[in-house]
Amino acid sequence: MYELHSVTHVYARRGHHVTALDQCSLEIHPGDFVAIVGPSGSGKTTLLSVLGGMLAPSSGRVLFDGRSLYDLNVEQRASLRGEKIGFVFQSFDLISWLSARENVQVPLMLAGRSSEYQCRRAIELLKRVGLADWSGHRPSEMSRGQQQRVALARTLANEPQVILADEPTGNLDTETRQLVMACLKEFHQDGRTIVMVTHDEVAAAFAGRRIRLASGVLQELSLRNAA
Amino acid sequence: MLRNVCYLAFRSLWWYRGRTAVIILCLAVTLGMPLSVRLLVGRFQEEIRRRAASTPLIIGARGSRIDLVLHGLYFASVTADFVTMGEADYVTQSGLATAIPLHVKFRTQSVGRSPGAPIVGTTLEYFDFRGLTVARGGTLSRLGDCLLGSAFAESSGLQPGDFLLSAPKNAFNLAGDYPLRMRVVGILAPSHSPDDEAVFTDIRTAWIIEGIGHGHQELSEESTEQLLDSDGTPGTLTANASVLPYTEITDENVASFHFHGDEADFPVSAFIAVPADRRSQTLLLGRYASVRRDAAVCVKPLEVVEELLAMVFRVEQVFRAAAVVSGSVTGLLFALIVFLNIQLRAPEMDTMQRIGSARGVTGMLVATETGIMLFLAAFLAVAAAAVISVLGEAWLKQWLF
Repeated sequence: MYELHSVTHVYARRGHHVTALDQCSLEIHPGDFVAIVGPSGSGKTTLLSVLGGMLAPSSGRVLFDGRSLYDLNVEQRASLRGEKIGFVFQSFDLISWLSARENVQVPLMLAGRSSEYQCRRAIELLKRVGLADWSGHRPSEMSRGQQQRVALARTLANEPQVILADEPTGNLDTETRQLVMACLKEFHQDGRTIVMVTHDEVAAAFAGRRIRLASGVLQELSLRNAA
Repeated sequence: MLRNVCYLAFRSLWWYRGRTAVIILCLAVTLGMPLSVRLLVGRFQEEIRRRAASTPLIIGARGSRIDLVLHGLYFASVTADFVTMGEADYVTQSGLATAIPLHVKFRTQSVGRSPGAPIVGTTLEYFDFRGLTVARGGTLSRLGDCLLGSAFAESSGLQPGDFLLSAPKNAFNLAGDYPLRMRVVGILAPSHSPDDEAVFTDIRTAWIIEGIGHGHQELSEESTEQLLDSDGTPGTLTANASVLPYTEITDENVASFHFHGDEADFPVSAFIAVPADRRSQTLLLGRYASVRRDAAVCVKPLEVVEELLAMVFRVEQVFRAAAVVSGSVTGLLFALIVFLNIQLRAPEMDTMQRIGSARGVTGMLVATETGIMLFLAAFLAVAAAAVISVLGEAWLKQWLF
């Protein structure tokens, strides 16, 4: 699914250069559940952004389904994200002025789906994450765990092949963390590829592959069946 | 896609409704003010031009031409000097034009919601000339009768058969002439002109209010004993304090009303001259520019109104320049608000892009929100301008004249 060949990314700010990714090479296969762990500032989020087609690397190639991701233009990458890639963020990034249902509908709206389909699909997904009764509530009226579950439901709206999760359990209590990870595990069992960036060892334990990223350098830690 | 973008834009605007309302209001005021002024001035110009164009010539005492025209057209501002009825007779006898006298000096007392209206003393030719018809009641048939303009009738609530008092000439002069109690004989059909706001009487009734004509009350024949104090001395009668505080012309006393002096010397505040043809008009204007120069002035209302409107236009130009400056400032502030809004909502836009929104779509969302606000502001501005131009026209005329 993903092939990274000698990917390097350097941030240059005020003449100061920081290498976030250094000659990273990696293969992620369909159905993988990959946890990328590492300390803060090790380049985890940069890697996820590169995988999501949001950040062109300074050098190297990123292939998605055999196609060079950054040979596509911005609009084509946006369209690819809308169709095949789902994002989960640590801060949930729900839109404050939309209800839970409308938040789940947003990717479908952007894909130009009919409003009937949007509604039906959003309710179905909210049911799946156990929030059917909260569909009319705004994010500010929900707990953090509920907000993350809404975000997970939104991620699934367009039935993505791959889910990129950036610290999905950050700032969550143990019980909610378990709930969120159970959702991700379920998505993985549906056949989706999950790439999760985390420094939470418990969360990382759910993954079949653990890759350590330190100072921009990747190191495969373990390869086993997902929990 | 556009439908979904519109939906998101509306939801966003509703969520930030306080801010949205303030922005829309600011834009509406910025757009609405110059628009209102333009519409208001446009309507005013159209109305005053129409009135002026329908009045061929106005003749009056020498002085301000603008005052004379506004007096003749709108019964506004009492002229400093009057001409005489003899001047009107001169015009009529010359065969060049028909003279329609106007005596506009007094107002009625306030009635109902109306603060009072100008009393226009004229002749029946005026109604034919202006195309005024009686909608209810009859026409002027006797001294002391009056016809009400439709707007005044509505605001005063007066009906045919009611009575209306003229305002005293000088409220501080207790020994002055009494107000005249006029009988309302009819109400004119609406003409959408200053005639709707006036009260019309025969010119002789106006002269009676002026004190030129009067009647005599025969107290010796008065049957109401309350009016009389008698000390029993034969032939001695004294009216007591219950004598009515106004003059009233009735069928019983109308015959006693009379005028002293020559009618040709009686005052007329202006008169409308309706020439027989273009040649007569030119001749009449020529006469008042030469041989009758000292007696009166003859003006073409449309020419004078154009001079007045040129002044209004210059004032409007200044206002328009100010509106352009304030509009530019508001435009810049609006651009700043949109820019800050985009910055403030950058995480939101970033999320949308991550979940598959093309930059064009997020741009479209911001543009749609901006467009909706501009549309609503423009709608409000146009609606407000339309209301102001209708309601403000009367206020503007009242304020100017």
